[in-house]
Amino acid sequence: MPTILSFVALSNGQLTRASLEVLTRCRALAAEQGADLAAVVLAPNAGAAGAAAEAAQRYGAQTVYTVADPAFEHALNAPVLQALEAVIEKAQPSLVAFPSTEGVKDVLGALAVRTGGAVVADVAEFEMKDGGVEALRPVMAAKFLARTRAEAAAGTPVLVSVRSGSYVAEESPVAGTVEAVALESRRPQQTLREVVAGVAGGVDLADARVVVAAGRGVKDDAARRLVEELAEVTGAAIGASRAVVETGMFPATAQIGQTGKVVSPEVYFAVGVSGAIQHVAGMSNSRIIVAVNNNADAPIFDVATYGLVGDLYEVLPALIAEIKNSSA
Amino acid sequence: MNFCVCIKQVPDVSAPIQVRGGELVMDAGRVVLNAYDASAIEEALVLTEEHGGEVDVLLIGPERATETIRKALAMGAARGTHLVVPEEAELDSAAVSALLARHLEGKGYDVIATGKQAQDTDAGLAGSMLAERLGLPYATNAVGLAVEDDVLVVTRQGDGGQEVIALPTPCLVTCSNDMNDPRIPKLKGVMAAKKKPVETVAVDEVPAASVRVLRYEPVPQREPGETIEGEPAEQAAEVVRRLHEASVL
Repeated sequence: MPTILSFVALSNGQLTRASLEVLTRCRALAAEQGADLAAVVLAPNAGAAGAAAEAAQRYGAQTVYTVADPAFEHALNAPVLQALEAVIEKAQPSLVAFPSTEGVKDVLGALAVRTGGAVVADVAEFEMKDGGVEALRPVMAAKFLARTRAEAAAGTPVLVSVRSGSYVAEESPVAGTVEAVALESRRPQQTLREVVAGVAGGVDLADARVVVAAGRGVKDDAARRLVEELAEVTGAAIGASRAVVETGMFPATAQIGQTGKVVSPEVYFAVGVSGAIQHVAGMSNSRIIVAVNNNADAPIFDVATYGLVGDLYEVLPALIAEIKNSSA
Repeated sequence: MNFCVCIKQVPDVSAPIQVRGGELVMDAGRVVLNAYDASAIEEALVLTEEHGGEVDVLLIGPERATETIRKALAMGAARGTHLVVPEEAELDSAAVSALLARHLEGKGYDVIATGKQAQDTDAGLAGSMLAERLGLPYATNAVGLAVEDDVLVVTRQGDGGQEVIALPTPCLVTCSNDMNDPRIPKLKGVMAAKKKPVETVAVDEVPAASVRVLRYEPVPQREPGETIEGEPAEQAAEVVRRLHEASVL
């Protein structure tokens, strides 16, 4: 029976929502193709790997391949490649799907070469058709979608990475098997010197239920404090447009858009965000978009569910007060 | 330290583009040096100015793409190589990286640099594919580079923060456009570029693509939303009421 393999990524010990979305999509494809659904998790220790495997089984993974090694404490690409190559060798999948994270982008091309397969990155939609994979992916600075077909040589997989928010994660528990795969110790050539954490508060932007994003309209400390306060009362992660990241007011890890993170929260507050197409590409999968901008012609209002034309120094305090009152 | 920067000529994505019959139509036909590659060139120039060495550029593209090599030379690169492919050649990331690898094998560069992705396809695959084909250690999405003896220190933007990674040379790095503002060539540079050597190599056989674009489609639009009118307090009350209704707060 053919196998579909879904890579699940951990963040703070939990499987990320984007991973579960991809796993859920793979479950539907496996049912349609009469294939087995397998998942692969790389974790720094056996405990974390086991917990992740259980979570993957809740979403229907019949076989979970776990690779537990301290090397996965931090993201260096060499051990990740080595582990995925070993698991693919074992599972012999026809399709391997990944959430499109920076960690995945770091290894996807190299893994395709190593496995001899074909690869399509950063898709918004994908299906298995006539022995290949057809996918829709944004191109030309997200102005258009390219309908793309990938065909891998016989016996090699098609690799696909999927933008977050493209599918909805749904549980469907199975009692599956867990197979531990050992990482052959190999001295990596690269060494990690340090990790400079970028996001304060620990709410992972890509996984957040609520995002408050600052745009160029957020010009000074007073405006930034309002953004932070709105994020605090809504339990949101803070994002930013490229323009405002460039001013240095927000860290690069907060950047949302075609070249930054793709987010798909339940609510997206766009504060002083003009709505350039590259930014919209990173947030248009949000369920509800609330836009605050003093320019009624800003393109962000074309995608906003609720548009509030007004001065952010007046609208944000009103929003913050209202949210505090309504939840008190 | 000697650098080879792999560059691409791309359509100017800020120019008007339309889809007609599944094909992209760019009336203006404007082409530019991929912005991420320009950042890679800039970084390589700064590092060689500081530590010695030269910057070469390597491009795959049709005849007309030579102008993009001249642009890189005008910025300060020493020499260029143009792997010439037919205008209609269908190249996927695997084919591009295979052609680049074939050319770079045994050339002895300390660092191969390139943009983290191309502005037209946004795939971001060719860099790590090339590293794998050449058997080089690599890092992607660099936002800062430094040279320490024969080690390249890469600061890359990861999922949760920035990772500082030391790569022994030879190595490969892909660059974000967040690391610098690429220099605009001055007249002197443009004049000098005309005299710099550009080697052209005809590619007689392009590897078959395993990934093809079937057609281009417009991006589906979101449902039109509504404007919430009123004084700030009224706007806030109305929006918060609706967010509660939708059970998202």
